[in-house]
Amino acid sequence: MSSLELHHIEKSYGSYHALRGIDLTVEQGEFIVMVGPSGCGKSTLLKSIAGLEPITSGTMMINGRDVTHAQPGDRGIAMVFQSYALYPHMTVAQNMGFGLRMAKRPKTEIEEAVTKAAQILRLTDQLEKLPKQLSGGQRQRVAIGRTITRSPEVFLFDEPLSNLDAALRTQMRVEISTLHAKLGATMIYVTHDQVEAMTMASRIVVLNAGRIEQVGSPLELYRNPDNFFVAGFLGAPRMNFFAGRVVQVSTGHVTVQCPLVEPFDVAVVDNAKLAAGDSITIGARPEALGIGSDGGFPAKVHLVEHLGRETILYADAGALQTIGSDTGTGNLTVHLPDVAPFTKGDPVHLRFDPADAYLFGGDEQATLSIPKSI
Amino acid sequence: MPNFWRQHRGWIAPTLFIMPAVVLFGVVIVASSVQSLWISLHDWDGMSPMHWVGLGNYQELFRDPQFFTSLKNNCIWLVVFMLAPPLGLGIALLVNQQIRGMRLVKSLFFIPLVLASVAVGVVFTWVYTPGFGLLALVFSAFGATAPALLSDENLVTFAVVFAALWPQVAFCMVLYLAGLNSLSDDLIGAGQVDGARGLNMLFHVVLPQLTQVTFIAIAITAIGALRSFDMVSVMTQGGPFGSSSVLAYQMYEQSIFSYRFGYGAAIASVLFAIMLVFIVWYLSRIMRADDRGA
Amino acid sequence: MYPRPIAPNAKAHRALYMGLVIAILLAWLAPLCAIILTSMRAPKDIATGNLWGWPTEFGLVDNYVGVFTQTPMARFFLNSLMITIPSVLGVLILSTLAGFVLSKFKFRGSMLLFAVFVGGNFLPAQIMMIPVRDLMVRLGLYDTTYALIIFHIAFQTGFATLFMRNFIAALPNELFEAARAEGASPAQILIHVVLPLVRPALAALAILVFTFIWNDYFWAVVLTISDSVKPVTAGLANLRGQYVSAWNTISAATIIVAVPPVVMFFLMQRHFIAGLTMGAVKG
Ligand SMILES: Nc1ncnc2c1ncn2[C@@H]1O[C@H](COP(=O)(O)OP(=O)(O)O)[C@@H](O)[C@H]1O
Ligand SMILES: [Mg+2]
Repeated sequence: MSSLELHHIEKSYGSYHALRGIDLTVEQGEFIVMVGPSGCGKSTLLKSIAGLEPITSGTMMINGRDVTHAQPGDRGIAMVFQSYALYPHMTVAQNMGFGLRMAKRPKTEIEEAVTKAAQILRLTDQLEKLPKQLSGGQRQRVAIGRTITRSPEVFLFDEPLSNLDAALRTQMRVEISTLHAKLGATMIYVTHDQVEAMTMASRIVVLNAGRIEQVGSPLELYRNPDNFFVAGFLGAPRMNFFAGRVVQVSTGHVTVQCPLVEPFDVAVVDNAKLAAGDSITIGARPEALGIGSDGGFPAKVHLVEHLGRETILYADAGALQTIGSDTGTGNLTVHLPDVAPFTKGDPVHLRFDPADAYLFGGDEQATLSIPKSI
Repeated sequence: MPNFWRQHRGWIAPTLFIMPAVVLFGVVIVASSVQSLWISLHDWDGMSPMHWVGLGNYQELFRDPQFFTSLKNNCIWLVVFMLAPPLGLGIALLVNQQIRGMRLVKSLFFIPLVLASVAVGVVFTWVYTPGFGLLALVFSAFGATAPALLSDENLVTFAVVFAALWPQVAFCMVLYLAGLNSLSDDLIGAGQVDGARGLNMLFHVVLPQLTQVTFIAIAITAIGALRSFDMVSVMTQGGPFGSSSVLAYQMYEQSIFSYRFGYGAAIASVLFAIMLVFIVWYLSRIMRADDRGA
Repeated sequence: MYPRPIAPNAKAHRALYMGLVIAILLAWLAPLCAIILTSMRAPKDIATGNLWGWPTEFGLVDNYVGVFTQTPMARFFLNSLMITIPSVLGVLILSTLAGFVLSKFKFRGSMLLFAVFVGGNFLPAQIMMIPVRDLMVRLGLYDTTYALIIFHIAFQTGFATLFMRNFIAALPNELFEAARAEGASPAQILIHVVLPLVRPALAALAILVFTFIWNDYFWAVVLTISDSVKPVTAGLANLRGQYVSAWNTISAATIIVAVPPVVMFFLMQRHFIAGLTMGAVKG
């Protein structure tokens, strides 16, 4: 029996399709992170699971119970909101006990649950304070504490860390992961921050325009993205993409050509259905690009980010037709694992090993090939 | 059954919550207003059965010189009342200073706003009283004799409107004071840096930021002018000889004193039609602002 | 700040400015002062036009005692309280319920319903006068305080619903979603979340609606005739007819009508202004 099952969930706001057929099965104890660009429907999906937004069609099961039409309070879920949504007129203890009080549980039980949650979240000294007397991190913990007291079957988090500063965010990330390990509960966590996704998830769900693009463990998604979108979404800095063309098709591999690079052979999946002359997209992670004193192709440094031990170069290789680059056409991002004494305007020779290439093509921009080295 | 309740409380509860307001407002306010339109097509004395006359009441209305007097007076109210927003703005600018005691001064300026209009009517009747009212005293101080405003057919409406202006100016002042307090200091600062001062600043920086306040001040003042009843009733009862009557008062007089409910309803309907212009204008802007805000 | 603040150290300038403002204020309140002074004078002074000079004889006590003993003003005052207080309570309850639903529940026609509440509030009283009067006659409530209470609750609910809806709409949605996610029913949300958070709005609304209802004159004359139910406003208008030139008595009665709203205003000025200007300033 799975903890949460979503069968073909659809949700429209008038004529706008916010969710387009979501299917997902979550096992007991998993930490699922949903990522996707802003407006892709993450909050909508989470609120649909919580029962806060009615869905247009589809079914939903929690621990084997059909909850498609159940009230939010009857679903066995608890939710942490982006703005925390603490009741400003209630103390921390009252905030944390509110759910149980609404369920008309005995006072002693409420007190016990609140005390226990406060201990787990180190809030014991704050119980009599009002939310406005707390720091951002403490408010965040109260919001989490409020979900713990009800011991729900599924925890839902909607971008809970986006209102915190960077240092606190890292700390809370660790705390939430620790809490997950301690409670062993199923958690569904929405974020648009891929670092949170990569570090916290047992599985990541990538959403785009109301659809699931891919589901898998962080490394699976990083190594083996199903398509152009997922490849571009996960990994920082972003993967470089540039336009290429198929020049020859043989069994199991194709020969690909693009400006500045010698034609090269790439192994492709069987059902790639490529023909000579097809346009394709070539992908290369910034880590897969290197520099040399000669060879490769010439480019010009456009911007340098010195990160201490590592260096990120934004280089302009004019003839290469980059796609969806953050910094403009012809721009490549290069991630060097060492200190590199470049400055803006320096000429460089970029090296690209075809063995590190991803290949995307077809109508869906599906992945046709991933690097051999992985 | 409890299960049914749990499943459906999502819409049953809000329906129950809003019902009392909807029913009461719907029956007493909305249905009554619609019913008046219906009554205006009848001859009715309030007791015997209604007698259908179609547009007869309206035809009579357009031959009734008193109707045109009232309509003209309503126009005077509307025009003179438009002094309230600028005067209110003026006082607001005057008292928008942080000096000790200014808070109390502001509160004292507000007072006419909370007075009952009946009280304002009595106060100004006393002010206008020939011989020893305040106005007469002022005139005699200059060696002149004050006109008997409330018995002069040509001046009486202006005298009443002037009295009604008193609380209306206070209302506009309150609006503008709140508006001035919500002004963005940055914008004022930017204006100062750009060299705007005094009236230039007022017209090019301050007022453009107060358009919503100005709109509400004008709309509510216009609606208030058309609704005027209390002051006329208390100060002149429409007199002398109907010369200070307004549509609202004429309607009341026709219905309550002459038992001509159909005719009264027709007058009310005309008044309603005129006001509808302002109400729709007001509503459409408020709702649009609301959409933007949401 | 606009106009530019007068510098705190420009003492002379400040004093001069304040003097000007106070002069204007005195002119502004002169009519009211005249009434107050008149209410303290004996009839003899008034008849001779001695309005501002030193009174030849004080009539303050006589006048006010006279209003309460020789006229039914005490009765009117009590009637006003008996009409206004229940009406205000009714309006607060109805508008909180309706405002909550209109702001936090999505349903078809909610915007239209809201527009009807707001628009109805601006209707001229005359357009509903005849049917309302007729309704009260048929219900047997004509010339009772209930007629006024019912009408005032109905009418003020329009404005009050607008007020409460806007206030509740400004409360963050996530607060309500959190409560729902925690299993609170709409009634529980109303009691445990909405009510504690709208208390300041209720205070502002209460004083505004109190003033509106206390000051009402039109419906008082349309729905009541007996002295035993009439509120102060209609009562004052009656006295005007009876005591045509007893200006000392009439002035005292006017002050009595004016005092409750003015006192309320001074006690809760901030709430009053906030309520009155709500909607005017934002957006
Ligand atoms: N109540 C609503 N009415 C109409 N459209 C909505 C509503 N809520 C969300 N949307 C739309 O649905 C899409 C998904 O929104 P959301 O789930 O909030 O995105 P995100 O992934 O950033 O959380 C957005 O394009 C948004 O504009
Ligand atoms: Mg979101």
